[in-house]
Parts: sequence; C-alpha cells; structure tokens
Amino acid sequence: MGNSTIQSGARMIILLILGSLNFFNGLQAQSCNLTIKGRVINAETGEPIPYANIIIESENIGTVSDDQGNYVIKDLCAGDYTLVCSRIDCDHAEHKLSINSTTSVIQDFILQPNVIELGTVEVKGQAAHLHSISGEDQLGKAAMAVTQGINLGESLDKLPGVNTLKTGSSIAKPLVQGMSGQRILIMNNGVRLEGQQWGLEHAPEIDPFVAEKLTVIKGAGGLRYGADALGGVILVEPKALPTQGGLHGAVNMAGFSQGRTGLVSGILETKFGEKIPISARIQGTAKRGGNMQTPDYFLDNTGLQEHNYSWALGTKKERWSAELYYSSFFSKLGIFSGAHIGNLTDLNNAIAREHPEDKSSFTYELGRPLQRIAHELFKAKVGLETGNAGTLSLQYARQFNRRQEFDAHSGYGTPPEGLDDPEIEFEVTTHSSELNWEHKPMGNLRGNIGAQLIQQTNTTDRGALIPNYESLTAGVYWIERWRHYPSPFELEGGLRYDIRQMDVGWQGRDSIGRSLDFSNFSSALGLIFKQTHWRTRLSVGTAWRAPHVNELYSEGVHHGSASYEAGNANLTPERALNTNLGIDWKPQNQAFQASLSLYYNLIDNYIFLEPSAEPVLTIRGAFPAFEYQQADARIMGLDAQVGWEIDPKIKWSAQTSLLRGWNRQLQDYLVFMPADRVSTTFRYQFKESEAGEQQPFVQLSANQVFRQSRTPAKGDYAPAPPAYLLFDLEAGTTLHLGKQPLEVGFTIFNLMNTRYREYLNRFRYFADEIGRNISLRVKVPF
Amino acid sequence: MNQVFKFFILGIVAFSLITVTACQKDDDDMIDPGDEQEVITTVQLEFTPSAGGTALTFVFSDEDGPGGQAPAVDDIALSANTSYEVTVEFIDRSNPSDPEFITEEVQEEAEEHLVCYAVSGDVPAFTIKDQDANGDPLGLIAGVETGAAGTGTITVSLKHEPTKDGANACSTGETDVEAAFAVTVN
Repeated sequence: MGNSTIQSGARMIILLILGSLNFFNGLQAQSCNLTIKGRVINAETGEPIPYANIIIESENIGTVSDDQGNYVIKDLCAGDYTLVCSRIDCDHAEHKLSINSTTSVIQDFILQPNVIELGTVEVKGQAAHLHSISGEDQLGKAAMAVTQGINLGESLDKLPGVNTLKTGSSIAKPLVQGMSGQRILIMNNGVRLEGQQWGLEHAPEIDPFVAEKLTVIKGAGGLRYGADALGGVILVEPKALPTQGGLHGAVNMAGFSQGRTGLVSGILETKFGEKIPISARIQGTAKRGGNMQTPDYFLDNTGLQEHNYSWALGTKKERWSAELYYSSFFSKLGIFSGAHIGNLTDLNNAIAREHPEDKSSFTYELGRPLQRIAHELFKAKVGLETGNAGTLSLQYARQFNRRQEFDAHSGYGTPPEGLDDPEIEFEVTTHSSELNWEHKPMGNLRGNIGAQLIQQTNTTDRGALIPNYESLTAGVYWIERWRHYPSPFELEGGLRYDIRQMDVGWQGRDSIGRSLDFSNFSSALGLIFKQTHWRTRLSVGTAWRAPHVNELYSEGVHHGSASYEAGNANLTPERALNTNLGIDWKPQNQAFQASLSLYYNLIDNYIFLEPSAEPVLTIRGAFPAFEYQQADARIMGLDAQVGWEIDPKIKWSAQTSLLRGWNRQLQDYLVFMPADRVSTTFRYQFKESEAGEQQPFVQLSANQVFRQSRTPAKGDYAPAPPAYLLFDLEAGTTLHLGKQPLEVGFTIFNLMNTRYREYLNRFRYFADEIGRNISLRVKVPF
Repeated sequence: MNQVFKFFILGIVAFSLITVTACQKDDDDMIDPGDEQEVITTVQLEFTPSAGGTALTFVFSDEDGPGGQAPAVDDIALSANTSYEVTVEFIDRSNPSDPEFITEEVQEEAEEHLVCYAVSGDVPAFTIKDQDANGDPLGLIAGVETGAAGTGTITVSLKHEPTKDGANACSTGETDVEAAFAVTVN
C-alpha cells in the first residue's frame, strides 16, 4: 500500500510511456467473447504485483491487476494480440499471443523491479486514461494522504485547474475551471451527491477517508453522470472490495497543530463464503479540532467535530454481481464568530480593523454560530453479464441530508438555550436510480446506453431562505467510442436528454405554488490523436443546467456577507458550449514529460448575483442589494504541467493555472474567479526504490498565487487581497516494528507562517488565513 | 479464523440492521411554514421636553421585514434651544394584533446591549443617561439639548455584545437595529 504513489502514477502515464508497438494484427470477424487472464508476479520475490497495467494497445483496452496480482481482459475477438504489462517501478513485459477457439487464455507476467520511481508530482495533471476523452485529472492515495485529514476540497485543490471556494478555515467547496456548486457534479461511490450544494458555505458532505481515488473530469466530459455538469464531474471512488479471504485493514491516525486536530480512521475488510462469496468492509472516521490560529491570533469558534462511518457488502459470481453500501456523515463545525455581522456598517468596521475584535484563545468548545450537517447514503447495485448482449447494471440509492445552521443569537424572544434550536434547517431526501447497459463491442465501437431517474423533496423546517420543493429529473444517455488500429485517431461521442420538473411550495408564510418544467439535450464529441511520444485530444461539448430554487426564490438578508439577496423567478436554464484542447508529451528515453490543457467555455444565460442600484433599507440599516440575473459569460483558461527526473533521486515538477472569467453582456469580470497561480516542487528520494512500499523522501513545494486584479467593478466590499507565496515541506518513510510496517508522513503547510488572505475565501474581510500547520500521520496496514 | 468470520458477519448484520432502521425519515409536511423568529420591526423615539410639555413620538417601522414594502420613517421635528429627555422602544409588530416589546429584553440583558445615537448636521450630540449593572452606558434613556434652528440626522443603533469599555464602543459588536431619521430643529 505504501507504493500508492506509483500505483496511481502508473495507471495514469502508462499510455504515454508505452514503447513502440510494431505489431500489426489481422483481426478476423469472429465471436468476441474470449478472455485472457493471468497473474502478475515480481521476478525477485515471487510475490504478486498489484496495480500493474495490462494493456492491449491495438484495441485500446486494458485493465489493472488486483491486490493478488490477478487480471482479466474480457470480450476479445479471436486474433493475435500483443499484451503489454507494466508498472512504473518495474520493467515492462510484452507477450504476443493468438487466441481463437478456447474461450480463456492464461498469460502470466513476471516483472523485474527497477529503479524508476515517479513521485507524487507525477500523479497530477495527466490525462491518459481509458475512459474519458475530455480532460481528466486524478489524485491517488499517496497524494491524497497528505490532505485527507483536512477535507475533500483541500485534497482536490492539488489538481491543476481545481481551486476551492472557502468560507473560513473549515468549509471548502471545489471550484473546477471557475465553476462550483450546482455547476459541478460530485459522484460519491457512483451516486450523484444530493446535499445542499447550492449554498456558498455548504461544503460537500463526504468523508475523504472513504475515497481511494479522486478524479476530476473537466468540461462536458461527464455526460454519463448528469446534465448539470457545466464545470465538470468529481468522482470519489472507494477501493474495490476484497477478492481474497483473511481479515485485512488499516488504521490511520493523524494530528495537526492547527486546532490541535486529531483524527482516527479505520477500515476492516474480509471475504468469506465459497458458493456465494461475500466481500465485506466497515470503515469509520472520527475527528475533532479546536480553534484555528493565524500567524498573529486565534480565530474564535473555528473548531469542528466529525464522525463518519460506512459499510459495504458485495458478492461476485461469473455472471452477476451485487453490492450494498451505506455511509453516514456527520459534522458539526463552528463558524468564525468574528465574521458574524449585523449590517453593512459592521462589515465596514470589520474591514477597517486590522484584527478581529475578539482575540480568542484555544478551545475545543464550539459555540454559536455553527453548522450541523448529517448526510446518509444507502445504495444497492446489481450487475448482470448477459453474455452476448453485454453488461447490465441497475442501481438504486437513497440520500438524506439535514443541514442546521445556528445563528450567533436567535434574535429576540427565545434566548439561545442550547443547540436544539437552529435558525435554519433544511432536509432533502433524494431517491435516484440508474440503469446502464454496456453493450458488447460492435466492430470497433464500445459504448453505454442508460437512463436515470431522480426524485427529490426539500423541506425547509426553519427559516425561509429557500422554498420547499419536489423535483423529478429523468435522463437518458448514449455514449459510443470508436478506435480502429492502427489508426492514430480515436473518437468518442455522446448524447443525453433530460427532463426536470419541479413543484415549488411554501416559503415561510407565502405560498409560491408554481410548477416548473425544463428539458434539453447535452452532447459531447471528442477526438484523440495519438503518436508515440505525444497525444492530442480535442473535445467539444454542450451542457445545460436548470436554475435552482435559491436562484429563483431566495429572499432575504445574507448575514455572512451583509447583502440582501433576491431571487428571480424568470430565470431560464444556463447553457454552455465547452471546448477543450489537451496535449501530453513524453519524449522517448527522457525522464521528462509535459502536458498542456486549454479550455474555452461559452455560457449563455449564466446566472449570477448582480448588484442593484438601490440598497434595501431595513431596520438593521441599509444593505446592498443583489438580484439573480442572467447574462452571457465566457470562462477560458490554461492548465500546464511539467515533470522532470533530474536524477533517479531528484525530481522536479511545476504547474500553472490561468483563468479568465468575463461577463460578455455587462462587459465586466465575473466574481469569485481564481487568481493566476504557479507552483513548483522538488522531491528527493533517499533510497532507490524497492517494490511495494513508500521509501524515505523529502519534498519542498512553493506556491505563488497572484493578486486577482480582474474583479467586477461593483459589488465587492474590499479590494482583492495581495499576492502571496507559501511553502510546504513534506517527508515520509516506512518504518518497521518487527514485521509490521508503519507508514509515516510529516508535513508542514505554510512553512514560513506567512500572513495572507485569499480572494476565494469569503471570510477574507474579517481575518487572515490560518498560519503554519504541522501534521504527523501514521498508517498501520494489516 | 472461522471465529473471526462469524464475528465479522454478526457485526455486519447487526450494523446494517441498526443503520437501515435508523435511516432518518423526512416526513415533514410540505406546507410547514416554519418557525418565525421575533424580529424588531419598529423603533420608536420619544422626546419629552425637560421643562415639561407634550412628549413627541417618532417612529421608524418596517412591519413586513426586509424587502417588500420600504420602511416608513417619521421626520423628527424639535424646537430650538430646548432640553429633551429621549427614550427609545424596540417593538416587534410583525403580528399587528400581538406586539412584542423587545425593549424589556434589552433591559434584561443590559450588559450585552448598547444603544448608540449618531448625529450629523445641526443636531447636537446625545448624552446617555442610563447604565447597566456594570456601570457601563446602556442608552435606552438619553438626553439632548438643541441649539439654533437647522437640519440634520439621527441614526439610532442597537448593538449586540459590544466592547463597552473600548474607545469606540459603537463600532464594535453586531448591529441589531440601525434606523436613520431626518431631523429639523426650528
């Protein structure tokens, strides 16, 4: 498990490093239900090698070996094939074989471990994957481990083109290519996350320790997952259930100096049963932290508590498989009390102050204002190998989300006796089902056809921020992918149609009683041109999104931002045309690789908050008023990344992200767009690698974020904060206590304890960002 | 090993039973209007000439809350060269048949509140005449002595949890009320 860096690295760059294939295969049109399977074994130790890539380049298919080194490639037609097996820390092996009558061919691979090991830095920014043509980035276990204890948003922040929109120190929402909230889909273990993602201070309700891998599909490539993904799709994927018996698992422990945060996360899994083999897993995380600290002062009421657990049961036979999954997420987090203001005068006073009024001290105690969030997910899935027709899968999921927000004091009348009385409470229940058919390859075509149905009920129990509603969304999609060897081209296309129907009910004491219907097509078209050392991909997609109830009907003062927000019942759906161009380059026999991704996103009817000319006068004073409006917008940008292995022990990498958001109608910039940034990393490996575990290393990164000079002319209360430079230091190794390995990691975030404020943090008016954060984490696998 | 498996199965079964049955229900009615909180809708200022005479009452009121109808604000008219005692009332009239007098609650939590009077133009500064239990100013009772005729404004604000011993107590804390009145002195 310690070599996870390599594992995910290997998966990502495999297509780039494959040597020349000089083999031409003459395919015969025969039955296409043949199988090649086998085992990947370490030549030195004789042990199985997990996570090796086995690829048939000519067919553009491949797989990854499991924990026991086993692999299977199915649905092959009779013919001659060249199988390439590789892992980044091993020499690759090739076998030519021809299959005809027998339905199953066994081919084992014996790999020689070598010294090439690519570090975490290589995990980022790659786009070679067998599943998506539009830009895609992945974060594997090793890269995730560093930030896993913080939150999901922070982990994703490592990927190029992904930022976080923060509220204080503990709420982070992912921002993909300048878009967040409803414009991003988060797929949690195959289920579309349905929480309260519309709010700027509503973070995704997911335990990062559930995930083994995070993938971001940018642009309109996530057609299969839903229509709303104007910005992209985030896939949170857990590890596959175990296929071998015995009791295995891991205990993760981490401590952070910030907030004196401690966490424990454990996972336990096994497999039993002979006739019907059952794989099982339980997992849980508990976390607690207190007040965070900037370089100069503590931030009052910024602690948090989180406890999550999940279980999974699965069974798999030749022809069918079934899976049950349940997860529960509970988090209680304090909102920095210095950001709680009554009106614009208070906000201006806060901006004028150097420090927050209340210089706090350290405590684990949580007081008002705070948020309490519970999210439950139950999922059942069955898969059926129909033999000649392909694979059919059916999934049902139920999600329940309750969000409670507690104000600093609950107005007048009822004094805040305890935490039983939130000011705002929403409950949303979502039932979703999906049917997917992955058809048998037809000639050079592989594809999926499917349908989705989502029913959602939102009840506002307290507060009247948004109305109650019931919605029904139905969608159908069809995606096909074409590849004919030896053509260097590969083509992907997809179409999707969605209908969304929404009944809006009561909002506070008013009945809206309106029924809304939206429907439209989404589509994607992608082309890959592959050469030995480089690869170009171009994709064009359209996506649309129906306006959400908060955009249509929110009405009231938003105290966190001292603004009066008014919904606009006349909004129409947003529509985006997204163009992506990506180039990956890896010269032969050079320890160098580079990738560049350019995107151009035209959004019609982009929904945003426009400052109104007249403030709203209330008894609390005058509030600047904002109304939801629509205009044509444009978001374009560039993500680039280079990696260079200077020496087997020293690796260097750098990446940059530039983004421009423009309101074409108002001829003005868009708000909350990430500033330009550059980062670079040096990594030193003390020992040349041995297969299988994390070797001692030290890594230093520098992140420069420039000042956001492109902000809208109106509507912000303070200018964007100045540029800043942060350093992170990281070290890790594997220790051995007898036979028990211990993976140890040590990280210092913000090494120089730099004082700074970030434009994308909504609390930048009130306080600095947190200072130095020293973390130590230990993982005990067994 | 068999023991371990049995234990594991048992654990999982128990766990799933608990969690599935504990699945939270969202059985609330779609037409639940939700709990309304008490809010301050009305600020009422009463000016009583110290030398005796009729008290003058001026009101800032926004009964439908933020948005909707704009607040109704009385213009304050005072006599020149007169000493007044000023009292302020904070009222919740969101339910017109059952007004709540929030002033009593402000009085009860006097240490956590402060009423500030910001003036501009020809309106002279107000003097706070009442105190909380700590001997710090409260502001529900104040005094003002007008000078020559002129015009100006008074902004009455109610601060929650201000730092009362600070130099600028009125720029600390959270503002619960901020009502601006136009003033004519003649």
